[in-house]
Amino acid sequence: MKYTPTIGIECHVQLCTKTKLFSEVDNDARGKEPNSCVSPVDYAMPGMLPRLNGEAIKFAIRAGRAMNCEINAYSRFDRKHYFYPDSPKGYQISQFYHPIIGAGYVELPSSTKVRIEHAHLEGDAGKLTHFDTYSLVDLNRVDTPLIEIVSMPDIHSSKDVHDYCKELWRLMCYAGVTYGDLYNGNMRFDVNVSVAPEGSSESGTRAEVKNLNSFRSAERAAEYEIKRQTKLLEKGEKVVQETRGWNDATGVTTGQRSKEEAKDYRYMPEPDIPPIHLSSEFIDEESAKLPLMPADYRKLFDGVIKSDILEVLLDYPQLMNSLRELSTREDGFLGDGSLAPVVTGLAPSSSVVTSGSPSKASSLVLLISNLFASVLLAEEKSAEYLNDLPTAAELNELAEMNIKKELSSTATKEVFLRLFDPQMKGRGAKQIAKELGLIQENDLGALEKIVDAVLAKPETQKAQADFKAGEEKVIGFLVGQVMKESKGKANPSAVQDILRKKLA
Amino acid sequence: MDIKREDIKHLAELSEFSLSDAEIDSLQGDLQGIIGYISQLDELDTDNVEPTYQVFEMENVWREDEILPQEADREALLALTKETKDNQIKVPKVL
Repeated sequence: MKYTPTIGIECHVQLCTKTKLFSEVDNDARGKEPNSCVSPVDYAMPGMLPRLNGEAIKFAIRAGRAMNCEINAYSRFDRKHYFYPDSPKGYQISQFYHPIIGAGYVELPSSTKVRIEHAHLEGDAGKLTHFDTYSLVDLNRVDTPLIEIVSMPDIHSSKDVHDYCKELWRLMCYAGVTYGDLYNGNMRFDVNVSVAPEGSSESGTRAEVKNLNSFRSAERAAEYEIKRQTKLLEKGEKVVQETRGWNDATGVTTGQRSKEEAKDYRYMPEPDIPPIHLSSEFIDEESAKLPLMPADYRKLFDGVIKSDILEVLLDYPQLMNSLRELSTREDGFLGDGSLAPVVTGLAPSSSVVTSGSPSKASSLVLLISNLFASVLLAEEKSAEYLNDLPTAAELNELAEMNIKKELSSTATKEVFLRLFDPQMKGRGAKQIAKELGLIQENDLGALEKIVDAVLAKPETQKAQADFKAGEEKVIGFLVGQVMKESKGKANPSAVQDILRKKLA
Repeated sequence: MDIKREDIKHLAELSEFSLSDAEIDSLQGDLQGIIGYISQLDELDTDNVEPTYQVFEMENVWREDEILPQEADREALLALTKETKDNQIKVPKVL
């Protein structure tokens, strides 16, 4: 019998507001001493009054709109009670009955749609570190604003688990609501997996794997669970509904002893925080601040950048913005058309002739995106390389030099890499190319002189004769000689044109 | 509503309280009394009444997202705990 997995995912996203959700305390505790970002509110001193951070509401609106979700005009907070040392209050302030973010969907690159059930605002818990005989409590993370995003069980493969988690990460980063630092737990995933016989109308018993902190571990944990549950069912055994932990080193999930026989959170309305009532104007104003989203870029660059390359570049919102700027530039560089006769071969020449045309913009974008992709894919420089991007103007200058044939493709890549070099930063592509002596000789008169000099040399006579006798491939040797004579600065395709004319 | 000994034990467990049999008996009586008193409200028909979440009818009480200095520093807060280690609160091992 074949079995089909059904998967739903809950994701916690830490919001990058300046202060915490309920206190005026620094929310960015990265690299700070334990318990240094806490106030009596976080410590839950008797008589403390939580005060809601208005910015977190705005962030939630943007996050919701990024997932095509309805924003609920009315929302409010509830207390979720549990007793654990990570929560001095003895309860978490959450939104159980009236969440701020309603239904929506996330579309994966494969165009699979995963519906969002809802998403709500809540405070994070403190951090526990466990030792042999004791645990230590750091309350810096207490009441860092979170949104918890609850998906519908629309996912049916471990690959889609990966893609969904990654797309959520992109959406939240583009929306600017989180630092998106997975290593530091800015996003955590709980994956609910069940397996049922194919075609069965009932879904199977589900197990939940909690606290996965990377796309890859979410994918692997789902894959493991699908296999484990399928095996159980094949043997005629039952899946136990439980919470399981994931061990990244062994690649195995294990059942966790349940702390309480049944969850009993005793929800009650949070009396300290009055309800949120949003006008449609307020919601619209905040929604309008959303920049272009990955789906917009997929449409914008459809047919310009290959989709597998685009999917790599989409991880870098700043880069996508630079590419968009390039694609909309109006200023042309070939206005006089003087270089047109030289432009043959390498560049998509038809697109270079009309300045400011969409096709020219496309060729600029294509060239730059290929450069980025080659660095990201082949050299695996990735993230740290893209922390501080060259400006769109610098990239444009570089692309134009390549298309004008002032730079060979190798030299273009060389200059591109130097644009990130702290030593050369800010000098611009042209200046760097000059300093490195990489600018190609395109002056036809000057090139002709060099060609003439080479053709006059005794060592080229035989090749010239061979070429005239129909031996096509010796042209390569002759071009090479001219390149050598020009110290590598001649434009090889222009040289070839001149040679062919002279030897015709 | 009848409060049973099991209910008291369950609530104690959720709050990590350990109670003696005598305490359970006494709490059972107290809680039964309290719930019984409140239960008078059950006589009212509340079918079409909106629940009251708060009585002041305020809404949208927000603050600016600005970091403010805190009156109590870490030392003051840690001084309130039973045991500390490396500027953290030390608790019995939990997992």
